Amino acid sequence: MTMLVKTADTFLNVAEVSHSFGGLHVLRGVDFGVPAGSLTGLIGPNGAGKSTLFNIISGFLPPQRGTVRFDGRDITREQVQTRTRAGLIRTFQTPKVFGKLTVRENLMIGCYRHLASGVVGNMVRSSRSRAEMELMQAQAAEAGERFGLSAVMERPAGQVTAGMQRLVELARGYVSRPRLLMLDEPSSGLNSTEIGQLRELLQRLNREGITILLVSHDMQLVDVATRVHVLCFGSIIASGAMAQIKQDERVRQAYLGV
Amino acid sequence: MSRSRRALVWGIPFLVWAVLPFVATRHVVDLLVFAGLYSIAGLGVAFLLGQCGIVSLAQSVFYGIGAYCTAWFCLHKGLPSPVGVAAGIALSTGIAALVGWPILRLSGYFLALATLALGIIGQVLFLEWDWITGGTLGIGGIPRIAPFGFAFDTPLRFYFLVWPIALLLLVLHHNLLHSRNGLALRAMRDSPEAAAVLGMDIHKLKVQMFVLSAALGSVAGSLFAHYVTFVSVDSFAIDRAISFLLLAVLGGVYTVWGPVLGALFITVLPQWLSRLGDIHAFVFAAALIAAVILLPEGFSGAIRNWWRARKAK
Repeated sequence: MTMLVKTADTFLNVAEVSHSFGGLHVLRGVDFGVPAGSLTGLIGPNGAGKSTLFNIISGFLPPQRGTVRFDGRDITREQVQTRTRAGLIRTFQTPKVFGKLTVRENLMIGCYRHLASGVVGNMVRSSRSRAEMELMQAQAAEAGERFGLSAVMERPAGQVTAGMQRLVELARGYVSRPRLLMLDEPSSGLNSTEIGQLRELLQRLNREGITILLVSHDMQLVDVATRVHVLCFGSIIASGAMAQIKQDERVRQAYLGV
Repeated sequence: MSRSRRALVWGIPFLVWAVLPFVATRHVVDLLVFAGLYSIAGLGVAFLLGQCGIVSLAQSVFYGIGAYCTAWFCLHKGLPSPVGVAAGIALSTGIAALVGWPILRLSGYFLALATLALGIIGQVLFLEWDWITGGTLGIGGIPRIAPFGFAFDTPLRFYFLVWPIALLLLVLHHNLLHSRNGLALRAMRDSPEAAAVLGMDIHKLKVQMFVLSAALGSVAGSLFAHYVTFVSVDSFAIDRAISFLLLAVLGGVYTVWGPVLGALFITVLPQWLSRLGDIHAFVFAAALIAAVILLPEGFSGAIRNWWRARKAK
């Protein structure tokens, strides 16, 4: 039997979050948490409110009620960039690569939040500026190799396949050394072989200490999560291990269709 | 590229640049000086448009501020040229930061209109505040730049002042483009949401670029004042801002050297076409339209694409 849990001491804590668009209540007092070091899944049928919740957590949408805490800090009203600087990095349902930049440049810019050179220093190629460029190059090369992108590093990211773009976005997030990596439907557009590879990749990143929140309706992928929350019509209706979730009557009715 | 080939690619344009003013007429050299001045101001506009997607029609204001500061400090106060240039940069960048902070929250047409409003306000103030600017009568007798007694008082001499400054500024912008913040600018142009997720403060970066662009406009204005030794409101009207935008678009906004080509086009070509008589304005307009339609990335974009295609073969 699954149950809703209070998550006051978790890494990411979403408490009583509600949001409406006009008369449509998309989220109704959502409560859930992501423990540090976990690979947590958030699933739900289309229209459940997953994307809205994701946008609220990442700062693209302020909630009308409720709070979002990250690493003990209330970030409900903070800007996207502030959350990023705290280590909360997200990807998008439709991969948002920098299309005119090469894959290498996409990965290089992943380091941005850890660097500090200013515009004037960049113009005169200060020693800090040059050192940063070397660091960006090195990190991009390492990530390119790790994510299997070495062959396309010099191609504009907008011209590689959709699956590759997904990997570029993920690798870019990895380069930014996230503390919490939030992935929005990372398997959409991938075939089953690629989904299998993505599963392995996520497990590897998680083993290395990156906390991951995975939003997906792809059961093949979500199986990788150690804990899953089920969102349905704006409420969390179940939380627990995937095996438990699959046995939950409400989940079976609302989502799994069995 | 081999060393000898690289030497050819850089050496030939350098030789042409160095020899040209000695073989060209004084009038042509004068036009080339203006092309250098416009390259500097246009670089700011092109950088804003190409890297940040900001259409600026306010560059004439900063161009004017640079010119009037130079006139005021060097003529009325008798201070050396660097003081006038520095004052122009300080005032322009201050105004750009103050005005840019709110208006750069806008985007697209609304932002373009806001910069147009700034350009118009500047034009009106230059006219109305005649106790500083001299209004329509202008200010004459601005001293030449004369470091260590060597006066840049002819088109030929000024040519060898303005173009090295333009080149230095091009190199600085090239460096910027290939740095952390340059990558960030190009990234936020492609996908602002993804840029924000990586921790980029898009608004702050835009304001910084607007301030930088204003500084370039001001430097160009100061040099202009020293060159022509006379400034009046007619030189800083909104049509000047349109010229800067035009040269940026024509030359290409995705390379730092595009504005140089654009500036040469709008300064040299009309004069060259004037030998056609009354029809020259029509021919120039037709050339403008053809260039914009046929070369959507400007001259530099077309050259770059041709070069890449050639390398790919």
